[in-house]
Amino acid sequence: MSAQATAVRTGTAVREAVATARQSWTDSATAAGVAVGLAVIAPFVLGGLIANDSLASGAYLALAATGLGLCVGLAGVPSLAQGAFVGTGAFVAAHVLRDTQLPAELCALIGAIAAAGLGTAAGFAVRSLDSVRVAVGTWLLTWLVALALGALPWLSGGAQGLVVPTRRLFGLNPTPLVHYELGVVLTGLCALGLVALRRGPFGLDLAAASQHRGAAAALGVPMERLRVVAFAASAFVGGLAGGLAVQLDIVADPTAYGPLLSFELLVAVLVGGAAAAFGPSVGVIVLGLISLAARALGALAGVSASRFQPMLEALLLLAVLTTGGYAFVPAAIRAARRFRPAPPRASRRTAAAAPPSRRETLRAHDLAKHFGAVSAVDGVSLELQPGTVTALVGPNGSGKTTVLRLLSGALPPDDGAIYLGRQELTSLTTAERVRAGLVRTLQSRPFFGELSVFEHALVGTNRTRRYGGTVRTLVSTPLFRAENRIAEAHAFAALETVGLAREADRPASELTGSGRERLMIAAALATNPAVLLVDEPSAGAAPEDLELLKAIFTRLKTDGLAILLVEHNLAFVRAVADQVLALELGRVASREPNPRL
Amino acid sequence: MRATATVLVALSFVATGCGHSSSASKQQTILVVVDAPFSQSPYIGNTIGNGVRLAAEQLNAQTLSAGGANYRLRVLRLDNALSPAKAVADTRRALREHATAIVTDGTGVDATWRLANSKHIPICIAYQGGGGLVNPQTRPNVFRIAPTDHGLAFRLAEYLVPKRLKIALLADDSDYGQEGKAALADAFRTLPKSVAARITLPSSASDLAPQVLQARRSGATALLVWAQAPALAKTIVAARSAGWSVPIYTTPAGEDPFVRQQLADHPSWVDGLTFASGRMTAELGPAPWATFEAAYETAFGTTTVGVKSHGRPVIAPPDYAMYPYDFVNLLAAAVQQAKGTNPAKVLAALNQVSTHGANGDERGFNERNHEGVVDDDVYFARFSHMVFRPVRDDPLSSTLPQINQVR
Repeated sequence: MSAQATAVRTGTAVREAVATARQSWTDSATAAGVAVGLAVIAPFVLGGLIANDSLASGAYLALAATGLGLCVGLAGVPSLAQGAFVGTGAFVAAHVLRDTQLPAELCALIGAIAAAGLGTAAGFAVRSLDSVRVAVGTWLLTWLVALALGALPWLSGGAQGLVVPTRRLFGLNPTPLVHYELGVVLTGLCALGLVALRRGPFGLDLAAASQHRGAAAALGVPMERLRVVAFAASAFVGGLAGGLAVQLDIVADPTAYGPLLSFELLVAVLVGGAAAAFGPSVGVIVLGLISLAARALGALAGVSASRFQPMLEALLLLAVLTTGGYAFVPAAIRAARRFRPAPPRASRRTAAAAPPSRRETLRAHDLAKHFGAVSAVDGVSLELQPGTVTALVGPNGSGKTTVLRLLSGALPPDDGAIYLGRQELTSLTTAERVRAGLVRTLQSRPFFGELSVFEHALVGTNRTRRYGGTVRTLVSTPLFRAENRIAEAHAFAALETVGLAREADRPASELTGSGRERLMIAAALATNPAVLLVDEPSAGAAPEDLELLKAIFTRLKTDGLAILLVEHNLAFVRAVADQVLALELGRVASREPNPRL
Repeated sequence: MRATATVLVALSFVATGCGHSSSASKQQTILVVVDAPFSQSPYIGNTIGNGVRLAAEQLNAQTLSAGGANYRLRVLRLDNALSPAKAVADTRRALREHATAIVTDGTGVDATWRLANSKHIPICIAYQGGGGLVNPQTRPNVFRIAPTDHGLAFRLAEYLVPKRLKIALLADDSDYGQEGKAALADAFRTLPKSVAARITLPSSASDLAPQVLQARRSGATALLVWAQAPALAKTIVAARSAGWSVPIYTTPAGEDPFVRQQLADHPSWVDGLTFASGRMTAELGPAPWATFEAAYETAFGTTTVGVKSHGRPVIAPPDYAMYPYDFVNLLAAAVQQAKGTNPAKVLAALNQVSTHGANGDERGFNERNHEGVVDDDVYFARFSHMVFRPVRDDPLSSTLPQINQVR
């Protein structure tokens, strides 16, 4: 009986999964499927015109590049360490193959795990650096690994490399053809994973963090942790490619995993398209064509092709970057959409449904913050009750924004304590506070330039999710899908609250300033907060926008939200606030109920 | 998708131009693949490539017949860029193209010999002398025609120890240097009193004065340097610029034109530099070598060193080109003995045939010995005025004539 119930449940889950896949199936997915199919039959169609070992090397290169796409495309981090990760996977797998009798696949997996370990360490080291420093740091790591391989012959096998024994692969004779098909299948799976991650909470959070770190942090996106995960995942895939490629090559070659490999992988990703799942693979094909061009040039000049290849690759990269970064695959997709626009997604969504409201009181006691000899905040206490708006007013430099930053966790207080209900928040990070129910919007109306309005709101819902982890996202478990539907409904409800439901599928960059302000309020609401901290929402707003904002705040009060409003516009304060706190030189100068009330 | 298909089709069209031979020509072609570091070490790569090409052209000028068929030799040059993985890829290509033999500098042989042996394809090493590369029992398809590290090290020990010198053994940190260091350790194992110091030279250092000073402080009265040409040149500069006129001994790296080019401003610093190498002439006298050298220069021109001796340009004799040249002649003999290009038969025949080499020496292998240059063929030469001549204080070398190195 229980087996029957399990079978029924599994059947239902599979049907749901198929239905979900069908719903999200696009023309790009069809094209990708055809591409993988063609790649699988390529050795048979080409009839040996391209050697199978060259094809297999290309397939593993594409796998490593697709792995790098995780880092570059999702996290927006220009890693130049992928060659080092491939090398780590290769040499660890080679040593395990030589020293043990473990199956070939397991050896490759061990290599991948070792690379993921190095990737985690690298990700931890660069987790909070900007792009330029990440590039420099990872470039140094690549050099470090290359130098280590050169300096340690016991590790690298010296000039002759580390010869590895050949072992059956998934029960098959490990011919170059078997390696090629395995490489294609793994690249396809990795690309599929990339698509799943990009659409899921992990990808949206990373996209948000890469487009505006401050705004993402305010919404509780754990950017640094996500970056470390992206690095580790990217390194894992690179290491797997290395661990398998070394079995194809039958030798771990210390000269093969130098900085040039890292550079070429990054070129492949950027040229093919970092954000497109098959962009890196297309980039690898382009590199293959470049090597042929280099060979032709070399023959003309009477020198080795290796002297031209990096030069041509660099030229191509320059061309892509200087022409606005339009990589091959994104450009092709854009061109295709001119003829066949993508159908609107919002129409497919379930009806909006707001999450159950959380009613908690925020209490801050004697908050203090000093910058050197200057007391920015000095003994500020406040209490935000559910269903009320408290306005924080005062001249510039009075400490209003500092109070917001102390409350949200962006700055640690020198003194004082913060409680939400019975939970003390004082030592919690911003992300932890957002999960606890305290969220903040920023003053400068930041937004995530490449996300749609709906995706902005989804970033907020990610803080409320329990089953949105990387692994669940990759395998799209029933719990994940069920939670996804709820998250989409909540995101849609948040957009309705701020009057942006009709704009759900528009790029956020097309919104007006006031629209962006409301969008970030919606994203904050999507975190299902008990307390909302808003920094100057009316700045630069037209009269009709002010009316809209007033209506929004009134509705949020009715919903039971506790709101702290930092505002210069006293008319707006009078219209929406229940209590006004005036700050002067970091102290509360007055604490009055709204005179209008 | 269409773009991907186009790319694949384009790749296939380009790939067709990469040396695919028809089945008709296969049967009458002896394909010799040269897998050498043409891009990373052009001097070595071209020396090996030219040696093979010269032999192939000379054989093609005659008619090579075997088993009733006529054969033409075709040479395919592949660049291994000193990368073992590239060497594996090149070997796979050689097998796909039905190569009869592979001639290499030695890069990646640890990985490639098994691949080649699966099709009974012989590999000839024409440059590297590392121990372990050649072993007729475990690697039946690997042959070498080049001085071995073992031979060079023991001949150097044999030559230097009677001079009662206190020798500082300097090896650079490259694989070449480290393999030499191991060979020297073996050669001097029973002669510890002759060794004043064992020093590693960092290849990447711009100045080796600290290492040379360390050797001087050890009480050394001679330096034996086993290093690539750049590190050797820097060692000489460090010693001579410090006013230390210690005798310096080295390996075939000493005759690399790079050393003399680096010291062109101080020709006297090169004077006295002594190196060990495979002899260019044999008991038959210099005539065979002169014939080979003339043919080489006719085909490829002279290799100028870039310095002058007594006002005349110095050329580098193509001594390392004679090794691949000799192997190709041996291969042709093996094909004739095997009456065709059946790989297993050719491989077996290589253990039986012999020819006269470019220097007049008898070249050949047998089932127990795949070394084409015996240790006794290592001689010593000393530089004077940018050219070298065999030394007079070694029994073998003293019998050898000087090879003309100016034009």
